[in-house]
Amino acid sequence: MDRSLRVMFLAWVLLVVAAAPAALAAEPIRIGIQGPMSGQWAYEGDGFVKAITLLAEQINAKGGLLGRPIQIVTADDQSDPVQAAVAAQRLVSQGVVAVVGSYASSLTEPASTIYDEAGIVHITPSSTATRLSQKGYPRFFRTCFLDDRQGLFAADFITGTLKKKRVAIIHDNSTYASGLADWTRKYLDERGAQVVFYDAITPGERDFTATLTRVRAANPEVIWFTGYFPEGGLLVKQARSLGIKATFMAGNATNNPEFVRIAGVDAAKGSVIVTEPIPSDLPYPEARQFLADYQKKYGEEPASIWTLMAADAFRVIVEAIRQTKSTDPGQIATYLHRSLKDYPGITGPIQGFDQNGDRLGTIHKAYVVNEKGQIVPYQG
Amino acid sequence: MLAQQLVNGLALGSVYALVALGYTMVYGVLRLINFAHGELFMLGAYLTLSATSAWGLGGHPAAGPLVVIAIGVAVLVAGVGLGLEQVAYRPLRRSTRLAPVVSALGASVFLQNAVMLTYGPRYQVLPENLVPSRSFAIGNLELSVLQLVILGVALMLMVGLYLFVQATPFGMAIRAVALDQETARLMGIRVDRVIQWVFVLGPALGAVAGLLIGLYYRQINFTMGWTYGLRAFTAAILGGIGNIPGAMVGGLLLGVLEALASGYVSVAWKDAITFFVLILILIARPTGLLGERVAEKV
Repeated sequence: MDRSLRVMFLAWVLLVVAAAPAALAAEPIRIGIQGPMSGQWAYEGDGFVKAITLLAEQINAKGGLLGRPIQIVTADDQSDPVQAAVAAQRLVSQGVVAVVGSYASSLTEPASTIYDEAGIVHITPSSTATRLSQKGYPRFFRTCFLDDRQGLFAADFITGTLKKKRVAIIHDNSTYASGLADWTRKYLDERGAQVVFYDAITPGERDFTATLTRVRAANPEVIWFTGYFPEGGLLVKQARSLGIKATFMAGNATNNPEFVRIAGVDAAKGSVIVTEPIPSDLPYPEARQFLADYQKKYGEEPASIWTLMAADAFRVIVEAIRQTKSTDPGQIATYLHRSLKDYPGITGPIQGFDQNGDRLGTIHKAYVVNEKGQIVPYQG
Repeated sequence: MLAQQLVNGLALGSVYALVALGYTMVYGVLRLINFAHGELFMLGAYLTLSATSAWGLGGHPAAGPLVVIAIGVAVLVAGVGLGLEQVAYRPLRRSTRLAPVVSALGASVFLQNAVMLTYGPRYQVLPENLVPSRSFAIGNLELSVLQLVILGVALMLMVGLYLFVQATPFGMAIRAVALDQETARLMGIRVDRVIQWVFVLGPALGAVAGLLIGLYYRQINFTMGWTYGLRAFTAAILGGIGNIPGAMVGGLLLGVLEALASGYVSVAWKDAITFFVLILILIARPTGLLGERVAEKV
């Protein structure tokens, strides 16, 4: 063995010996993303991956988590419930400690059973069906809100900001709209406001004057409509032509420019729309920073609030691992249930999670239709 | 509140009546239910949308242009009605009773799809304020200018049609054909010409009804012919199908019935209550309120 070869061999041995402990210590922490990266909701799944990849790279660049790099493992459920179960199995077999996903409730439901059996922490950023959190899965959480939170916001807004007492509630018998109407009634009752009218209209109808004539007789100060924009537009228009002066308020299914077009600016102006904020309207420093980073990396801003909810799901997992200094799913879940309080989220302060894993508080915002017919944040 | 519900119901009912006239006249002369009639009504609303946007209307009241548009739309839709008679009904006049019904349903689907492909599937919106959006308060009763216009135009057209049918020679010919086609032919009445006129008058009235509904709700879509057509057809039966004053009474009554049912019980129960009353009336008077004995011809 000549000299140069000997030196090279020695160098190689030294290198291996030096690298070994580092390689051991750098065993990555695997975190899964399950989402619809193809199929009808592909846009949302793509947003999940982009948001979380961005955050993971930032953490890894600063030395990782507990000194270990984060490794993202993705699984495409193809917007299909059957594939959702397959995707969940795949993530479980790859040894992830926690999963963010999936988008729709129909995708999250089959997956949540598999994650529960495997004992993995599972946070959905966007599935709002009530029953998901009522199965008693101890490691299931959500960073989105159920419709009861929107109802809570609406009740607080009516009694607090508007200082009104007499409310007419109109829904359209759909699961979403009647649920939101019921929750709002509950919170209004608790705040001492009076629900003077409560009934449904039929979606697809055009004439609501009969219902509105009864509303007028009940003399409300506020009309709270929980259905969709086509009926919402007709309702406010017909209410005004019947001489009803009450403030018209509607939920997030009315957050659509068509609402104003159907009602006409004259009738629609002054209407209040309660909805999740659009990403660029979030006032928090965390949100500004995230949106700037996202824009820089991908050349676009996320239009979907669910992309930001996914980012927050990932961030609370990281926070739990950092605080507990453990990657044990049991410890992470316990931390999220008991110890996480008032964490500064991108989508607003995360007050914590209740015993079902549902997020506390609300981030809904009030918007108002201005004189020009634009939907702008409510002032005042 | 009762007065308000009555006004709401009458405004809607007068539109039902205008549409019902088309059903009842065609049935009167041909013993055929023109299932494509609701689509002609819908076409009236869509042509109004095109005309107002071509004219650049919107934002301010435009009574003059609206009258011109109404006449134009009525003429165009009457032309479609005439074409429908030529293409879909006349060739089948001597065939079984089922064939024209299927042909009518086919024409209805065709018209719906043609409008959907031309204007797109989503809801379309007519310009605002074509009729002043003011309303008058009389005590607790709010009367909008639009409601008055709808009631006024509908009543005017109905009275005009009634006088036309009762007091002119041509109206007499229509009544004669309705009574007995063969005898009328023997008396020298040109039956085919009369049938063509019926397919002009009915669609023209339906088109104006479409325009009025378009102005009232502003939101229109390509399936609206089905919902309104079904109600107007019901109104025609309620009043006694084949009977012209019957269609008018039936339409107004149906509108009021709907308003009262949704006003005093619940909107969810509106259709159930309306149709229950309809069944009761038909049990008591199988030929409808103003219906005469319909002689079954062989």
